[in-house]
Order: sequence, then structure tokens, then C-alpha cells
Amino acid sequence: MQIRLSRDIGSAAFIAIACAFANTAILVPANAAVEPRALVAPVADYKIYVTGKVRELVTDTRAFTDAVKAGDVAKAKALFAPTRTSYEAIEPIAELFSDLDAAIDSRADDHEQAEKDSGFTGFHRIEYGLFEQNSTAGLAPYADKLMADVLELQKRIASLTFPPDKVVGGAAVLMEEVAATKISGEEDRYSHTDLWDFQANFDGSRKIFELFRPLLGTDDRAFVEKVEANFATVDKILAKYKTADGFQTYDKLTDADRKVLSAAVNTLAEDLSTLRGKLGLG
Amino acid sequence: MTPRDRGTVNRASPLAGLDRRQLLLGLGAAAGTLTAAGTAAAATEPDNVARAPLSDQTQQRQAFYGVHQAGIVTPRPATGIVASFDVLAPMPEDLVRLFRTLTTRCAFLMQGGTPPELDPRFPPVDSGLLGPVVFPDNLTITVSLGASMFDQRFGLGEQKPRRLLRMIRFPNDAPDAARCHGDLSLQFCANTADTNIHALRDILKTIPDLLVLRWMQEGSVPALPPQAGATPESARNFLGFRDGSANPDAGDPATMDAMVWVGAGQDEPEWARGGSYQVVRIIRNFVERWDRTPLREQERIIGRQKASGAPLSGGYEGDIPDFAADPKGEITPLDAHIRLANPRTKEARKNLILRRPFNYSNGITKAGQLDQGLLFIAYQNDLDRGFIAVQQRLDGEPLEEYIKPVGGGFFFTLPGVVDDTDFLGRGLLAAAGLIDANG
Repeated sequence: MQIRLSRDIGSAAFIAIACAFANTAILVPANAAVEPRALVAPVADYKIYVTGKVRELVTDTRAFTDAVKAGDVAKAKALFAPTRTSYEAIEPIAELFSDLDAAIDSRADDHEQAEKDSGFTGFHRIEYGLFEQNSTAGLAPYADKLMADVLELQKRIASLTFPPDKVVGGAAVLMEEVAATKISGEEDRYSHTDLWDFQANFDGSRKIFELFRPLLGTDDRAFVEKVEANFATVDKILAKYKTADGFQTYDKLTDADRKVLSAAVNTLAEDLSTLRGKLGLG
Repeated sequence: MTPRDRGTVNRASPLAGLDRRQLLLGLGAAAGTLTAAGTAAAATEPDNVARAPLSDQTQQRQAFYGVHQAGIVTPRPATGIVASFDVLAPMPEDLVRLFRTLTTRCAFLMQGGTPPELDPRFPPVDSGLLGPVVFPDNLTITVSLGASMFDQRFGLGEQKPRRLLRMIRFPNDAPDAARCHGDLSLQFCANTADTNIHALRDILKTIPDLLVLRWMQEGSVPALPPQAGATPESARNFLGFRDGSANPDAGDPATMDAMVWVGAGQDEPEWARGGSYQVVRIIRNFVERWDRTPLREQERIIGRQKASGAPLSGGYEGDIPDFAADPKGEITPLDAHIRLANPRTKEARKNLILRRPFNYSNGITKAGQLDQGLLFIAYQNDLDRGFIAVQQRLDGEPLEEYIKPVGGGFFFTLPGVVDDTDFLGRGLLAAAGLIDANG
């Protein structure tokens, strides 16, 4: 045990407190045995995963922005949500380039003048035109910029040495994203395609967890089971809203299901926030 | 001893520091009269404006264990929060874990102490916002259950307190769904707002899989300077009136048994004895409009003198108005708030409730008006005979022009935790057959 107890050792009050904390994952001690070398393979595998996702993102963004520039509102609308998923899955890496992340994925309320703000570009600016104004008028420059930004992202990721703590920490980061700004349905506020993003965020988080799971010790079995159970809960809820070609709109999510999702997301965020410590990172 | 040494000594001894800082605060304008030693001390530490304000009340502590929960007959401190949650407990053992964990967290937070230290590569156990040693600061946490807790989900239905129901809508209410109801409420009260927030964050972090925050409302009441020999006064609400003047005596156990605590003589489930019905109402006050209302009209609407809190017939805040001698409402209008709420008749004694409200300020509305009001909290042992009866008498009162209830809920405050082998809700879970009688 690496828990250092101070002062109150032995008192009944302390034992009660320690028991209360022991119910949670946060007191599981660090697995000191993880060799830095052991991280190399899963980090490399994760880079392969991210590279593949970026390739998809480039291909999909090209089709999406072509549709926008061709004035094909229906096609552009249909491509909006699926195009974003590969970006959402790799957000922990994409966000390392904050200039590109702001250009590609910022939302109207990140800007003082909201939708009218000249700094509001990227996916959500185009989403606003397509779904709120039902038009591609004036969107061509945003489409060109989005394509250029995505290509730039691909270039930067290709030459990036993936920092292990960012990769491992990314599992929790994705859950924090969902908990902070997505569970409310404010991410895709014009198209209401939030459930696509949810699925991609969970997939990206689970990918990281699965890559590093083999490094966790046997004393982390309960932790692994709890995390897997929460991912399964999320899957079960999202599966209820799947359609032939994607997901129902966010407003279809029942209040009861939203609460279950919310608790699962917060619990995953809490538990996965210990993953770096368990692997001796940070 | 060099001046630097002196500063070190002061830092190591909080009391010495307190004295010196008080000296600096109190005599700042007369610095020229300070002794050489005092001046030297001042020179060691620059006047940092961000220094923490000092309080000698951080070690005030309320007992966690008892037949009743704390935070009801406990004198109301300066700040409070009511937070309402949805409970997710897929299995009966989750429900047990919820109540057991709430018990241990509340016991620790009210007692204070040092949280366990982890390997620094882990997120810390405690938010740290009170420092490395958590101080109690007069904290109470009061746990209550909403009617929805007794629906089909948890198997508690047959144990529902007989008068517990989802908060009903009264004619002047404009309920905001995002600020109403809930499975479980936590009332936090402490000397400082940060202590309540620390406690709330501790609980949220400990059981995120069981509790989903639904709404919360913070509040405070203005503190008064202690005045030797003066009659204590009730704190003022945001209408500027003393609020709580006719409260029953919380220091008298017999009165509390008669009005606040569910007892053996009531047709309530046995586990509920020692509990109480909690009413929370978020009542917006239209303060700009109120401030533009003539004083005499304000006083006639409330039924009290604004400055002294005395009845309109005169005297002191604690004086009982003689409404029987004023049948036409010539002194206190028949529809004045205090007259409707408590007509001071023998029958009306049955309707007395224990009020423990806070004022809240939530910034501004879309219209640019102050979003302020009363976080009304009241306890009684019979919801029908208590708040509901009182509010029904108030329906249509002239004060309604200036107030709008927008949120809140009805809850049942669990009986207390008698000792460290007991836990919150144990009687309820045992009665419902979710745990055996030995817990």
C-alpha cells in the first residue's frame, strides 16, 4: 500500500473515513511495477489508431466540404455527423494543437459574438448554416478552411511523438468532455446529432483503456471490472437510440437514460482519472 | 531575533499571528504610534491584500450522532446550500452503499480531520480547498428523501412517509422543472460558503455512480455584530424584513417533539420516528419593485415594522400581535403576510413550522433585473398540517405581487444516526426488507 496515513492512524473515526474512501476506486494504490518500457507498445498501437482515424477524417471531410461547396444541402447534412466521429474519437490528441482545435471544433459560445463572430469557424459554423439556416450560402470559405485545417492536423500528428501521459490521460479527458459540455446536448445544438459524438468519445476512451489494460496488476481487477461495466452501461443506452445509418436526434434521449449516461460518464471520468497513477505516469 | 525570525515565529503560532494582524488592522491608521518592535514585525511581512480573512470559528463543531439529524434545531449559521439529486441504485446493495457512504462522509466532514494522502501521481482524495486539514466550521449536512425515492425503483414504496408527496403547485408558483423535486436532498450549513462547497464536492466525488446532481441553490444570511444584553433578532431577508420572528423555540425539546419531529403517536411508519418533513422553496423576490414600494405599504403587506421587526401594534420583534383585538384589520391588515401565515389562534398553533431560510442571489435575469430571493427551508412533523396548510392560507396574499416561487421540493428528513454502528436510512432499509434488522 502506498497510501500514507497521517495523524489519525488507529482512531475509529479514521477507520470509518478510510472505509468510506475504500468504496471508491481512488484509493487503489499505484501499480509501481509498470516499467516505462512496457508503455512503448500500447503508445505505438495508439498512434496507429489515431493515424487511421485521421486518415478517415481527411477522406470524410473532403466529401463533406465538397458537398457544402456544391450547394448540396441534403448531402452535406447527411455527412455532417459521420464526418465528425473520427475527430471526436481522437480529441485527446487533436486538442494538443489548440489553434487547430479552436478552428475545427469550437462552438458559438466560445466566441463573444456567438454565431456572428468572425472567429467562429469549422464544423459547428457549417452545422449552423446547414441545420439552422438550411442553406450552404456563404459556407464555401468555411469549408475550404476546415479542409485546410484538417490536412494541417494530419501533418502535425504524423510528426508528433505521442507523450504517454497524454495518451493514458486521454481516456479520462474524453469523459470530462462529455461530462462538461456534451451531456447537456449543447455540442451539436443545430443538428442534434450529439449521440454520434458520444459514441465516438466513448470509443476513443475505451480504445485507450483497452490498450493499457494488460499493464494493470491483478489487484486492479475490481477497477477493470467497474470501468468495463460502466462502458457496457453506456453501450446499452446508446444502442437503444441507434438507427440504420446512425443515431436518433439528441432530443429523443429520455430523461431517465440521460441520468444513467450522466452517472456512467462521471464515474468513468473519476475512475479513469486514476489510470495515469496506476501506470506510474504523471 | 532578527525581524525575519519574528515573522517565522508568528506564522508558526496562529494566535500570535492573529494578535499581530489585528494590531495591524486596528491600528493601521495610527502606525506612527507603534513601538519599534511592532514596526519591525510589520516590515517582515508586506501587507498582502490576498491574505485569508481570519475566523476564530473554524473549529465550531456540531455533533453528527444523535436521535435526530443536525441542521434542523441547530442554530442557523451564515451560509447554506440545498442540493437535490437523482439517485441511481440499480441493486439494493447500491442503495445500502449510498446510505453507508453518505453516513461516513457526513460524519467525517462534520468532525473534520486529515484526509488520507495518496501517491501524488493520483488525483488527491480531497479537493484541498480548506487546506490539508479539513476543519468543521460548524458544518451540518442534513439528508432527506423525496417522494420519488419511494416509487417502484427501489422497493421502498410501502415505507413512504404518509404525507410525503411531490411538491404541489400553488397558485402563485411558476415552477422551473430544472429546479424542482429530486430523489434526495442534502442541506449543507456552515459558517462560510466555502465549507459547504467543500462538503458538496467531497460527496459528489465519492459516489458519482449513485448520485446525479439535479439542482442546487446557495444562500446566506447577513451576520450581525454581537451586542451584549440586546435581545437577539432574526436575520433579515432580501425584502429587508426580519424573517423567522414567530419560529417555535428550537431549544425546547417538548416543542420540537410537538411540531417538528415525527413521533410515536403519529400514523407514520415506525422507521420515520425522529425524522421530519422538509420543505424547500426557491422564492424569487422582485427586489427592484419592492424597493420602489412605499415603506408603509411594505409594512402593511408584511404586517411588521420594517426597522424593528415589531408587530404593527408596536413593541418588540418577539411580541405577539393581538389580532383578536383588531378584528377589522385596522392595525394589521387581515391579508398581511404574518396574519395569514399565523393568525395566532389556538387552532393555528397546529400549523406552526420551523423555518430556517437563507437569502440567495443568482446574478441577473434576461431582463437585466436582479435574480434574488429566499431559499425557504422549513421543517414540521406533518406536511399537510404544516407548510401546506400555511401556504394555502397565504395563497392570494398581497405579497404575491413581489414574490414568485420557482423551485424547490418536498422531502422527508431521515432520523438521526445514533452511533457509529448505525447509518442513515438503516431503519427504512430494514423495514423494506433490503437489509436484515441487524444492518
